[in-house]
Amino acid sequence: MSDLDRQIEQLKKCEPLKESEVKALCLKAMEILVEESNVQRVDAPVTICGDIHGQFYDMKELFKVGGDCPKTNYLFLGDFVDRGFYSVETFLLLLALKVRYPDRIHSLEGNHESRQITQVYGFYDECLRKYGSVNVWRYCTDIFDYLSLSALIENKIFSVHGGLSPAISTLDQIRTIDRKQEVPHDGAMCDLLWSDPEDIVDGWGLSPRGAGFLFGGSVVSSFNHANNIDYICRGPPVGDGRLPSLSWTKNLNKQFRVFDAAPQESRGTPAKKPAPDYFL
Amino acid sequence: MEVEVDEKELKAAGAELLSDGRHGLRIHGWEIETRKRSILNSSTHELWEKKLETCHMPEMIFGESCLVLKHVKSGTKIHFNAFDALIGWKKEALPPVEVPAAAQWKFRCKPSEQVILDYDYTFTTPYCGSETITLDADKHGGERSNETCNLHWEDCKEKIDVVALASKEPILFYDEVVLYEDELADNGVSLLTVKVRVMPSGWFLLLRFWLRVDGVLMRLRDTRMHCAFGNNVNPIILRESCWREATFQALAAKGYPSEAAAYNDPSIISQRLPVVMNKTQKLKVPSNM
Repeated sequence: MSDLDRQIEQLKKCEPLKESEVKALCLKAMEILVEESNVQRVDAPVTICGDIHGQFYDMKELFKVGGDCPKTNYLFLGDFVDRGFYSVETFLLLLALKVRYPDRIHSLEGNHESRQITQVYGFYDECLRKYGSVNVWRYCTDIFDYLSLSALIENKIFSVHGGLSPAISTLDQIRTIDRKQEVPHDGAMCDLLWSDPEDIVDGWGLSPRGAGFLFGGSVVSSFNHANNIDYICRGPPVGDGRLPSLSWTKNLNKQFRVFDAAPQESRGTPAKKPAPDYFL
Repeated sequence: MEVEVDEKELKAAGAELLSDGRHGLRIHGWEIETRKRSILNSSTHELWEKKLETCHMPEMIFGESCLVLKHVKSGTKIHFNAFDALIGWKKEALPPVEVPAAAQWKFRCKPSEQVILDYDYTFTTPYCGSETITLDADKHGGERSNETCNLHWEDCKEKIDVVALASKEPILFYDEVVLYEDELADNGVSLLTVKVRVMPSGWFLLLRFWLRVDGVLMRLRDTRMHCAFGNNVNPIILRESCWREATFQALAAKGYPSEAAAYNDPSIISQRLPVVMNKTQKLKVPSNM
């Protein structure tokens, strides 16, 4: 068994790698990712999955339901880290699979794949807690800069973490972005990772936060028309302890599947119950 | 409750746990119960949107979760739920808070036609609980709202006895219920929770609205209620509402850290936030209706 296969087995058990192994893995991954386009071409059939957010056991459930990589071809829409307990193991497993099977797994950058956001929402603290230093966080966030921004499945389905940008009308415009940087606060790259669809606007909307675009139906239609695509696919919302995945068959028929989050017993940690406290 | 409550302690306090899988207890004429359910499914979500006349609601609404404290004899019911809290949010309708990036965005090239949404995405609510009087269903059939039932909170000078509450008497029942939560699209947190503890001497609860808009402001709206058990057949409930608010800028000026990561737990930093509103009221639970 090669080192890499051993590492994959180890990560599948939710055991993190040594710091030196993370460094080496990131270097290898970087060589692969640097070659990828901002609009990564993906073949069907493929199964698409949205935000994982460090929920390692839900990702394992996805592989159980959807089939293992490389047997099933996967596209992940970003937001691998933060919020959950196992951001390190989650991201490293996806990265190790990428190095092992570069054509069978694709990961896009989400707005959480950022130095700034991960310092607020948990990934930074998790690295510090698990490794006693922030080196692993540095290696991983350096890799984040290299993740592709979007994917195009069989030239027909455009996939991205956030959504569209008023600064972008063609896929070629996305291809010219220099993505190898921290997610910026504005501009086309920011929009691709941060924009949200909004039912009540038809064209463009501005979020009440004063930053962040909202895009409506007519924006989607004209983008699709201009680029000769059928659908836009973005990170789906979660709800009710169930997770969605979307599979596209060879003939681009879609199969939307919702599966239950991993049962509590299989999560390795006990359920977070409130401990009685003498709150005042 | 994950902590095994000593049967003896319950008995000594004259309390009994609720049966039939319900979560709570009966004590001194009160029935105190929590319900924790999953977030709204999409059909209920749509129904709420219609009822509230909005198409923006928190990402996670635990619509069926609640805390209920019912004084059995009088039918007085103090309860906490997400729906009433969101009615309060709609009514207050605060202007939106701009995030730090908004300053840069003002100079951004924008589409010629765009709609600016201006609802209060922080879901700030003045909610401090709901009250109803439930009449004996057999005799009268159904509930009446507090307006018709004359449940009257009056302003008062008394304060909740924090010293007494700090004493470590046994906790017979404890729970914490999340009513709604929103991550403000990764710009912070908006969270409405209520927690309760019941001791041999009385019950105490804290309803907390906690908002942090990263880099901009924090808002904490606490409502505490305390009811001491006594021989009085008409219990008195004290309710103290304390609202606090501070901008990150003001905190930085006082030498406090200004990064969002330092403000994850409101109970640790609440003292740093200046009080903007504070009032105490009391409710005499009516003897019979």
